[in-house]
Amino acid sequence: MKRKKNVRLTGAIALISAVAVSLTGCGGRDDDSSGGARGASTGITDTTVTLGVTTPLSGATAGPGTCTVAGLKAYFGAVNAKGGVKFGDGKTRKVEIKAQDDAYDPQKAKSNYDQLKGSVFAMTSGLGTPTNRAYREAAIADKVPQVLVMTGDPIFSDTKESPEQLGFVPTYVNEGEAFGKLLAASGQDHKVAILSQNDDYGQGYVEGFKKGVEGASNISIVKELTYEATDTSVDAQITQLAGTHADVVFNAMSITPLAIASLQKAQQLNWKPSWFLPSNTSSPKAILEPGKAMAYPGVYSVSFAKAPQSPAFAGDEDVKTFLSDLKQYADYPDMPAFPHCMWSYMVGATLDQAFQKMKEPTREGFMKSLRDIKDFTAPLMLEGTSVDTTVDGQPAVSSVVVQKYNGTGYATVENFG
Amino acid sequence: MGQFIQLVVDGLSNGSIYAVLALAIVLVNQATGMINFAQGGMAVLSAYVTWRLVEAGLPLIVAILLAVLASFIVGGLLERFLMRRFERGDPDTAVVVTIGLLTLITGVCGWLWTYNNQQFPSLFPLHTVRIFGAAVSVRSIGTFLAIVAIMLVVQALFLGTKLGLALRAVAINPESAAFSGLPVGRLLMAGWGLAAALGAVAGALVAPQLTLTPGMMDTALVYALAAVILGGLSSPVGVVCAAWLIGVLENLAAVYVHFIGYDLKVAVPFILIFVVLIVRPQGLFGRKVVVRV
Repeated sequence: MKRKKNVRLTGAIALISAVAVSLTGCGGRDDDSSGGARGASTGITDTTVTLGVTTPLSGATAGPGTCTVAGLKAYFGAVNAKGGVKFGDGKTRKVEIKAQDDAYDPQKAKSNYDQLKGSVFAMTSGLGTPTNRAYREAAIADKVPQVLVMTGDPIFSDTKESPEQLGFVPTYVNEGEAFGKLLAASGQDHKVAILSQNDDYGQGYVEGFKKGVEGASNISIVKELTYEATDTSVDAQITQLAGTHADVVFNAMSITPLAIASLQKAQQLNWKPSWFLPSNTSSPKAILEPGKAMAYPGVYSVSFAKAPQSPAFAGDEDVKTFLSDLKQYADYPDMPAFPHCMWSYMVGATLDQAFQKMKEPTREGFMKSLRDIKDFTAPLMLEGTSVDTTVDGQPAVSSVVVQKYNGTGYATVENFG
Repeated sequence: MGQFIQLVVDGLSNGSIYAVLALAIVLVNQATGMINFAQGGMAVLSAYVTWRLVEAGLPLIVAILLAVLASFIVGGLLERFLMRRFERGDPDTAVVVTIGLLTLITGVCGWLWTYNNQQFPSLFPLHTVRIFGAAVSVRSIGTFLAIVAIMLVVQALFLGTKLGLALRAVAINPESAAFSGLPVGRLLMAGWGLAAALGAVAGALVAPQLTLTPGMMDTALVYALAAVILGGLSSPVGVVCAAWLIGVLENLAAVYVHFIGYDLKVAVPFILIFVVLIVRPQGLFGRKVVVRV
């Protein structure tokens, strides 16, 4: 009996381990398009308009995910308290938000969309490339706007491919290119080591960076390594990259603990290059402080939002209003650790613009007025950046400025070094 | 050569993370005869308790000791009021219950403390020392030594004490153990309690490196299970060696075996398992289960 029991146990473990490995190995994607077309004005009445959000509220990405709802709620909470948005058709409507948790799981995102599509006017603000992709085709078939979503995937900003979609944040390529250009313009020779996540995210950054340094004879890429998003350690990669003695690391990484660990590991190896970090893993409080980033000659990132935790913006009117709205209407009392809180606040302001200009309460009317916003400086936007929805192939925000960490926050820089 | 040594040292330090969880799994298995998939979740819960106590102003070491004590009690209660119902039945059912428990604990941690990454203080500083030209952090050395110490204690507990003998007796044959006058129920509770206490230590050792999140142990659990199978369910020394082996081989394979690289290195421990299970079904260090008829 005992022997049989042990064999069965071993079998069960082997099975579960195999499942775990296959889950780690492939990020499934559900592009099933179903559901019929809905009436054009679902989710909008004479007094309210309802927005749907599917975003990770639990799981590893819940921190940023929670922020994508909090900022939106903060913005429209304040607007509703003043009466609502005065739409282009003359009616004043309050904005309601229905947010559902998808835990960064594409299947759940799709089923959330299926639940929401019958009652919301538009889907917005949700975080995640696989999750937004999971219901992209269905949204096109149903003619449900899926706009100002938080993904750097360029497909959402291609009107031909995605007529009902528009991305909000700069694409990964935009971000990588901005840093590449700055580095190329430095005039000095630089050896660059690249570490990137083995998916569209990492590849997009690397592609943009290479575009930025194209033809620059002063830049040489000495080594490129990758890691999987599910890895618990990148020590081996950092060790290997340290061997190149590169003076710049381009680290296209989206996982918070790994970003901290790579900053720590390089210090332990006594390798002190300058770093580039993507906008969503460059938080001073959550990553740079524990990673002791001041040990490096420079840590660079790109941004388009004012950082509320930075002393430079402590007295800023935008920041003060934002923080108090966040506390009052979104039940988010802490200083946001992720920029997604600021981004979704700007999403609110951009939607507000589109609402004010739309002449009729239909989804078509909304998409038309949404695609017609230019040079709009949403609250919290940094100087030199703006919302522009009129350029095909670009998300609502495609302009970023390169910033350098100064021990407490980031300051915009014109030159590398 | 410098790089090779550094990779080995890094691998040992990663392997130590898997090892500490694997030890807890072995402890439960030796004491109750089952595999507890919730072990990682319980360790995370203990780490959160430690973290809360530190936030409340207690010194780290006191917080860890209190969390160990609390975990011992919670582990015992879980056995008495939840697992007891499934222990007499099909072992597969009990295993599935522990998986459910893992999901539940993860959800509760997320609900109570959010899914944000929390900074967990480390017992050991992050300074580096150089050993054979490789940079090793004091934290890695501390974790490594702590695991060796725990491993020796667990090995001694099972092989050298009456309690260990009684625990093993209960795990192997509860009926006979009861006839011999052993308090089976209390021993099972003690087994779970000890494993949960060990989990609390594991959590405190691992959390500074992985940063505290409810899913912190998920990937580590997969590797820990691999180490358990590889090293043999009955051998604490075996699983620790297997965990180190996995950590080191994974790193070396990623760097020196080109078709594996960093993308396929996750498969390394599982290829090892297949090979070992075919050649030595009881694991590298495990004892063959013999049944007298």
